[in-house]
Amino acid sequence: MNITFIAADGTETRIEVAEGESIMRAAVQNDVDGIIGECGGSMMCATCHCYVDDAWADAVGPQEDGESDLLDCAASEVKPTSRLSCQIRMRPELDGLTIHLPEAQL
Amino acid sequence: MLDHQLAPLDEGITIDQLTVAPYPIYRRLRAEAPVLRVKSVGRTFLTKAADCKWVKDTPEIFSSDDPNTPMKRAFLAHTLMRKDGKEHLAERMAMAPALMPKTIQEVWAPLYRQFADEYLDRLPAGEVVDLHRDLSAPIAARILAHILGIPEATDEQMIFWSQALIDGAGNFGWLPGPFEISDRANAEMDQLLGKAIARVRAEPDRSALSVMVNAENPIAESQIIANIKIAIGGGINEPRDALSTIVYGFLTEPGQLEEVRRTAKWGAAFEEGIRWVAPIQASSRLVMEDVEIRGFHIPKGDTVMTLQASANHDEELFDHPERFDVFRAKNPHQAFGSGPHHCGGAHIARRTVGAIMLEALFERFPNMSLPDPEAVLWRGFGFRGPINLPVRLG
Repeated sequence: MNITFIAADGTETRIEVAEGESIMRAAVQNDVDGIIGECGGSMMCATCHCYVDDAWADAVGPQEDGESDLLDCAASEVKPTSRLSCQIRMRPELDGLTIHLPEAQL
Repeated sequence: MLDHQLAPLDEGITIDQLTVAPYPIYRRLRAEAPVLRVKSVGRTFLTKAADCKWVKDTPEIFSSDDPNTPMKRAFLAHTLMRKDGKEHLAERMAMAPALMPKTIQEVWAPLYRQFADEYLDRLPAGEVVDLHRDLSAPIAARILAHILGIPEATDEQMIFWSQALIDGAGNFGWLPGPFEISDRANAEMDQLLGKAIARVRAEPDRSALSVMVNAENPIAESQIIANIKIAIGGGINEPRDALSTIVYGFLTEPGQLEEVRRTAKWGAAFEEGIRWVAPIQASSRLVMEDVEIRGFHIPKGDTVMTLQASANHDEELFDHPERFDVFRAKNPHQAFGSGPHHCGGAHIARRTVGAIMLEALFERFPNMSLPDPEAVLWRGFGFRGPINLPVRLG
């Protein structure tokens, strides 16, 4: 399964992701610029903010409990499609997912 | 048998060596013994970045609730820093609204700008001053007093309480002296907090005390008080030491200062400063089940120590780690930790010291210099930074 990240400047990066892996961890392990994930997925830092592509918003689903409080902490604009990428786990129906990255995480 | 090989035991490293010059020791340990039982500290040292991060990110195995530390005695309470799971989360989230960027942008950043101007105004241009004592410490104390909801506390009180709590919490020899001092600090804080709680109840504001006291389902008052204390103990040294460290870095690397002034990369400078000399260098975690790290058996009941200081200099992640270099392509440091206990003050620190103070300071004193870099003394094993910073203000 794969995901495509589109950076704020338009740069595209496509990576392979295993089922069950969080999008944040996959991005960090593949050196994708634009996702930091400083707290390791504990919903404490808001440095893995991402925008789910409109076409994928329903498939990915809404924010988890507590996620919106943390998104308030995000450095870049929060939109309806904003998610913390540590809270999205890869599953077959997300194969081919497109994720947009914010301008800044800090 | 090999499966149960314990990590090697070191009997040579002393706490004094770690306090004066830890980095050469950590460099050696990363290369030769990245998992090492250090007798003088009574902990298993982890000096590789990946190991430190894994421990922090795996609280089910590595608990923050270590009963064998003097912290409870020093704080006369069990604070959120030493709790796990739901209990920790509930207490942390009770305080969180005061530390969120929205509140920072609307309340603390404007206030910090005002304090920055006032404290810079007090400094005598043209003279040599100890910037650590005369700026880094008091500005950290002032903004923290407001964020926590105890603006009536003086800078001197905040600094005394913070140091008393830190010294008590670090009193691993269980000597009576440090606890007598922390007891005195606790009595003073309790008295002031009693009045402050009544005040924020009558007139709510955006401070940590107020959001905790006035929450729909507030946590116990004893825990509100305990967690204000942990924030006092843990909220002055770090921004103070970060500021002094970064100023030292710039003054010894004037080319980088010039480039940052041109490109306004103050945020990157902040990140690099706290990577270079992490204000909090070490953390302890209690091992809840038998586990293996780099082939060594770590038994249940052991206490591991993650050395953020060393993780931030790990050659696998950083080129020339010993050098202050604002222009690193990547800077995945662990100065704010990781996992559920990721620093609650990270956003505040970045948006005050990083986003406001550095630029304001070098704008006010563009020709500031360090007459004698050798005169700056660096100390600390658990917490680290310069203990003085004599600069000429110009």
